[in-house]
Amino acid sequence: MLQIIKNEWRFLVRSRIFLGISIAFISILMLSVFLGNYQTHKQEQTYQSAKDHVRQQWVSIDEMSPHSAAHYGTYVFKPSNLLSSLDEGVNSVTGNVLKVEGHVQNEITHSEASQMQAVSRFGKLKPSLLLQYIVPLLLIFLAFNSVSNEKQSGRLKLLVLQGAKPLQIILSKTLSVWLYGVLLLTFILLVYGILNFQSFTDEILIRTILFFLSYCFYYFIISGLTVFFSARWQNATLALTSMLGVWIIWTMFLPNILMSSAEKWHSLPSRSEFKSAMKEDRSKGMDGHNPADKRGIELKEKVLKEYGVDSLSQLPINFNGIRMQADEEYGNIVWDKHFGHNRDVLQKQKQSFQLGGIINPFISLQNTSMGFMASDNLHHQEFLLQVENYRRVFIKMLNEKETFSSSKTGREDNAFFRSVPDFDYKPTQISAVILNYMLDIGLLILWSILVIVLIVFGTKKMQII
Amino acid sequence: MVNTSYSTYCFRNQKNANNMRNLNIFLYEWKHFVRSPFKIVALFLFILASIYGLQNGADLYEKQHLEINKVNQKVTDKKDEIVTYFEKGEKGPKNRPWIDVATPFWAIYNTPTYHYKKATPAIVYNIGQTEQYGFYKSIDIYSSPYDADMAKEIANPERIQSGTLDFAFVVLFLLPLLLLVLLYNIKGQEAEQGFLPLVFVQTGSKNWWLVSRTAFYTILLLLTLFGLLFYGAMLTPIFKTDSTLWQIFLWVAIYLIFWILIYFLILKYGKNTVSNTLQMIGVWLLFAFIIPAAVQQWISIEKPTNLMVDIIDTKRDKTDEIYDQTNELTDKQLFNLYPSLKQTEIAKDSVGIKNARRRSIRALINSAMKNAIAKIDQDNQSRNELISKTYWFNPLTYFQNKFNHLSGTHYDDYQDYRNDIQDLIDKRIEIMVLDIWNDVKVDKAKYLEYTTTLSNND
Repeated sequence: MLQIIKNEWRFLVRSRIFLGISIAFISILMLSVFLGNYQTHKQEQTYQSAKDHVRQQWVSIDEMSPHSAAHYGTYVFKPSNLLSSLDEGVNSVTGNVLKVEGHVQNEITHSEASQMQAVSRFGKLKPSLLLQYIVPLLLIFLAFNSVSNEKQSGRLKLLVLQGAKPLQIILSKTLSVWLYGVLLLTFILLVYGILNFQSFTDEILIRTILFFLSYCFYYFIISGLTVFFSARWQNATLALTSMLGVWIIWTMFLPNILMSSAEKWHSLPSRSEFKSAMKEDRSKGMDGHNPADKRGIELKEKVLKEYGVDSLSQLPINFNGIRMQADEEYGNIVWDKHFGHNRDVLQKQKQSFQLGGIINPFISLQNTSMGFMASDNLHHQEFLLQVENYRRVFIKMLNEKETFSSSKTGREDNAFFRSVPDFDYKPTQISAVILNYMLDIGLLILWSILVIVLIVFGTKKMQII
Repeated sequence: MVNTSYSTYCFRNQKNANNMRNLNIFLYEWKHFVRSPFKIVALFLFILASIYGLQNGADLYEKQHLEINKVNQKVTDKKDEIVTYFEKGEKGPKNRPWIDVATPFWAIYNTPTYHYKKATPAIVYNIGQTEQYGFYKSIDIYSSPYDADMAKEIANPERIQSGTLDFAFVVLFLLPLLLLVLLYNIKGQEAEQGFLPLVFVQTGSKNWWLVSRTAFYTILLLLTLFGLLFYGAMLTPIFKTDSTLWQIFLWVAIYLIFWILIYFLILKYGKNTVSNTLQMIGVWLLFAFIIPAAVQQWISIEKPTNLMVDIIDTKRDKTDEIYDQTNELTDKQLFNLYPSLKQTEIAKDSVGIKNARRRSIRALINSAMKNAIAKIDQDNQSRNELISKTYWFNPLTYFQNKFNHLSGTHYDDYQDYRNDIQDLIDKRIEIMVLDIWNDVKVDKAKYLEYTTTLSNND
């Protein structure tokens, strides 16, 4: 088998067309890695400068009441990550700016896609674009006539006469084509690794290995299936057109159709429904800005009783802060209910889409590629959750200051504002989310087994001549 | 005389023979097509995908209009609530005693106004950039065209990233593939089977033979596309619009001819089926994937995503600055914006002017916001200009944006929508400031006048 693989490679390397295409493609791949990396660094600079600027504004507050500061709020920008230079995932369509303030959980806005006219339907020239769409096509082109050519030239008969089993031949052909894909993949990851050597962490390494493995499985499925068609069909053209048909259905038709269908099966509320429902629930709680609010008065009575005093002026604390925090905590329950419902729906959509991997392994590949590169919706939602958790701590800190402040003017000085921590994004660890991708990995493995079964049983009926 | 009529006769005969030959090639191609299950399945899938895409477009059209109706209902309810205060002689909600709807500030504050980007019937063919933006916006004196509620509808970002399968997607990306399936073995198959010279002898001209066969599929696809466009027209009231349907058909036809020409050249100079197929798919990959993706990558390097720091600065530093500035400077700036304020009674009343000034400061902040927004719009515009400069080698993006323009779903259409929103904000603030300074008392009639004046929706 090894000998057949070696021979296959010998033939390939002798082909000028193959070498030409390989050199051209490797150049495009390198370009995509360099550009992806450069763009990530440039975006990182823009992000850092905006983050510093906003932080500077916050720490420069000379004097302000904590509640005014809660309205003044701060802004969180979605950071770019090193991994997204391999697969950008949803980053260009999600927003980048999120205002963190009191009384409200805002939505992230100002996506990159909304800042220009339409350009590419399949995203930027990132390695993932080439690895997902173009490399499989290259593998199809390499494999479609691998067996039919041998049949036509009579070499297949010769190989069988020399003692090679048809199964060995087909598997060797599959592996030799698959190796080409794996080499391209390895090359990309090596270049990426060299460019980012200093920033490499264990987490990035594990994610990159998982990324590598999922592509290896997919390339095996594509190579095996194409060689199988080449062995089963009498002519190469039929094998090529069949595989191109499969490629078109897998990459162009099904992902769009299945994702749209998943969105219809588990529908999200419209923005106005969402807002109305939150407003409705919110109105049942306390109005932090309205001292005449019934629930506010009840809370006031409770606090006065707790401190054993008759009026707010006798309280050793500022009741406004307590009311604001109570309002905030009620709001949090409302946000959790409604934003939580949306997250549940998104998760159901994702699970339904993942099941699409049963008929289309490309879906599993897309999911794992984005997921392992921390750029899918799951990671986006994790980021939003971190921001919301920060908002709650941030506002609570301000409300507590308002409540327990010793300031006579009700305004805090610069030292307090400096002491409020900035948002610090902790990238989601793969160990925390890996279970979400087990279905995709499982389906890729299942597909690989299916292809092996097809090859094993299919070659039994293969005509040698 | 005799010679002339003989040559005319010969010419006519030759012409008839040519017509017959072309008809035969057409009939041969028809037989070839109906006997090729692969091609029929490809066409069937294309039609199926198109119908699915058209339904998606129609669903979105329906959904957006339904949503606008719901929002309108809310507006009506809110308006009725305020009108009730006037009818009962109340100032506003009892639990908010500081509200007085008889004053221009609170009356305008409580005038619910939404501005809509109504979906055009042509959205059935092309969703374009619709899903990147919101299509209704609540307008008040604190609004700006870059508010958070301008964000797109709540949707799964992974679905938005992969894009909706609409008719334009089918045309732009799948039509060239369908064409490839229909044309890939023309000439190559005959060459491989060794009867190409025979075909040339029988048909006289190899170019004409190739043109006729290609023309057959061109006509077949044009008819199919027209049928699909017509089906789409049944789903939304597109016939009510001027000539959008015909314009879309024209551009679809131009796009089809663009690909026919490319494939024709490949077939003309190609040697065999496999090499022709590889070249065709290579060109498709180049135009559909590599060039647009490279352009987008380049744009994002040249012009990184704007994080809206200018707007943030205006909302914070500039706003603080305006609030902190001297009354003289505020008055001067207000009088520059609205010269007629200077002549009002309030301007001469040292007590009344305080409240009027405080309520009018929003006009100055709006002015500063407009300056910040202008920078962002300019930045986006320069990004778009860069993209437009690539059209000559990036045809798919050109056609995509052409379709977006035709269906009213282009970036420019949403820019116009933002501009309209800004105009409405300006108008709202101007009316409010003038009425405050002119000490207008608001009654039911005046309030109803506000509700119609402050909205420009039909």
